[in-house]
Amino acid sequence: MLGRRRAFRLLTLPPATWLALFFVAPLILVVAISFRPEAGPIDFGDPWTLSFAQYERIFATPSYLRLLGTSILIALTVAMAATILAYPIAYFLAFRARERATLYLILLLIPFAVSYLLRVMAWRLMLGQEGAINSFLMSVGLTSEPIDLLLYSQGAVIVTLVYVWIPFAALPIYAALQRIDRGHLEAGADLGAGPWSRFARITLPMALPGVLASFFMVFIPTVGEYVTPSLVGGTEGYMYGNLIQDFFGQAGAWAGGAALSVLMLVVTIVLVAVALRVIDVRRLAS
Amino acid sequence: MPERARFRAARLLPVVLVSFALLLPACSLGGEPNSLLVLEWAGYEEEDFWTDFQTANPETAVDFEFGENDADILAKMQAGSQADIFHFYTGWQQFYVDEGLVQEIDTSKLTNWDKVPDSFKELGQVDGKQYYIPWDWGFTSILYNTEHVPEVTSWDVLFDEAYSGHISMWDDGPAAVTVSSYINGWDETAITDEQLAQIEQDWIAQKPLNLHYWDSEYENLCPEVMSGEIWVAYAWQGCYASALYGPVDEDGNYHPEDAPPVAYAEPEEGRNSWVGLYGISADSDSPELALEFLDDKLAELTCGNAVTLFYYGCANQEVMDAIEDPVLIEAFGIDDPSILESTNFTPPVTAEQRDDWTAMWTRVKSE
Repeated sequence: MLGRRRAFRLLTLPPATWLALFFVAPLILVVAISFRPEAGPIDFGDPWTLSFAQYERIFATPSYLRLLGTSILIALTVAMAATILAYPIAYFLAFRARERATLYLILLLIPFAVSYLLRVMAWRLMLGQEGAINSFLMSVGLTSEPIDLLLYSQGAVIVTLVYVWIPFAALPIYAALQRIDRGHLEAGADLGAGPWSRFARITLPMALPGVLASFFMVFIPTVGEYVTPSLVGGTEGYMYGNLIQDFFGQAGAWAGGAALSVLMLVVTIVLVAVALRVIDVRRLAS
Repeated sequence: MPERARFRAARLLPVVLVSFALLLPACSLGGEPNSLLVLEWAGYEEEDFWTDFQTANPETAVDFEFGENDADILAKMQAGSQADIFHFYTGWQQFYVDEGLVQEIDTSKLTNWDKVPDSFKELGQVDGKQYYIPWDWGFTSILYNTEHVPEVTSWDVLFDEAYSGHISMWDDGPAAVTVSSYINGWDETAITDEQLAQIEQDWIAQKPLNLHYWDSEYENLCPEVMSGEIWVAYAWQGCYASALYGPVDEDGNYHPEDAPPVAYAEPEEGRNSWVGLYGISADSDSPELALEFLDDKLAELTCGNAVTLFYYGCANQEVMDAIEDPVLIEAFGIDDPSILESTNFTPPVTAEQRDDWTAMWTRVKSE
């Protein structure tokens, strides 16, 4: 019979190997490529010489850094909106849905059965000049001409991303709310706390780890988002992820694209670390 | 042999035979593998684009991998793509030869080569050797909605604030440099750093005028030209032809009566023209099959499909001469004998220009 430690090692070996091969190794490769000097396509036959040329180029181009800042702001907005909108859904599932919670949870997850691309494309139909929103506004007489700025704008990117992320964001909050011992709420009620007081002093703080998990789960990938901006963002909704995509694709400048990716990774990690340092989750939850 | 061992061998034999049978087709027992990988632009994998080869070689597996644009296709080839054939456009011929990525073509083996005009053949030559086969071609000019825009006589209409929110430029750095060169009367093969800086500023100022930059002709240019959202666009003639034919219904019938009022400009600076070229990878395991594929691309039916279904010009002149459809005659300017005199053909670019121009465009987009 296998010992516990040996069984643990045996069980973790396949996922660890998988991660090492397909996550850690590519990440190391991206970092390594970012220190190559080529401005255009890389010739892998050339010797690997350490160069900071890509980083120098990035820091000498203010528009790249401004775009990173804009993308972080968009990601913050999307993460906050998605988390705030997801909270009532999770609350309803955890406290009000009772025996129908499973059914509602399945309904919540139904959008995942539809391709991400299709869900985003649906917003093009909603926001377009002849889309549902413009048609509605014109039919009720609020406008006589279609509003051009609904689609192909930063706002369209934010609205679409919030919509896409809400079901994802609800899940960690729901899990956190489910873990709350109902005895705490009963004790609060027995001690005279009203519904709002119980929510503010018991439910919300105890669900904060889930809320923060939702926030970061949305924030981190949104910083590097490129599919949604390329479909609904137009020239104004261009994000840092699109810039990286353009470096790898359009410009064929893999070394520059790798450096942009590494910079985004570092900035995101620093932001998350600072946020977690500032927000003492354990103290709030207790 | 003991009974138990015989039983095991008897059980294993069918497994071994089945495995051998399954592996046999995958193994090369001499000769070329019966498969091709084509590095293409999205959309060109449609079977109509290689129908003659498919008919002649029904057993051959043809797979496609895709590049976003010329830079991406070159980058993929440089990164060791296993593609037997790759497709790119004029201006990029020299790079593949310089880097040993392409092999010379024996045109004596091509049955459709004599149908290709010499001017096209020359575009596929580098240092006097035929490395590429020309295939699709077309124009670039300004496609505009005549209901909102009076006659367009210059490329500078792309910078006209009167059409703000209804303009669409192609998402491509070298194209932006080309347009600016035409407008300013500069030689696009000799753009100076100062001129490139000016071009960058001009396109940054132009950026808010766009509805969006288009990157796929039939996905996010033509539909919005048809719907009337885009009034002025940098466009190829394919989109012009689509607009002239009008919307297509579920049964495949065109409705020209619902077509948007569009025209394709003949700017005073001249139109631009481009030609698509196919090369065979220097590392191809199937060069003979690849050559046959390219020969069949030039055949009448396949070339005809490119013209009638996708509204691209094709290098088979017999196919072009047979065009009778008035929409295609208009789109290709076939009834205008002087059209080529006022057309600028895309010149080759150097690696440095390519890198500088694409970098300039990323800066424009990130502003």
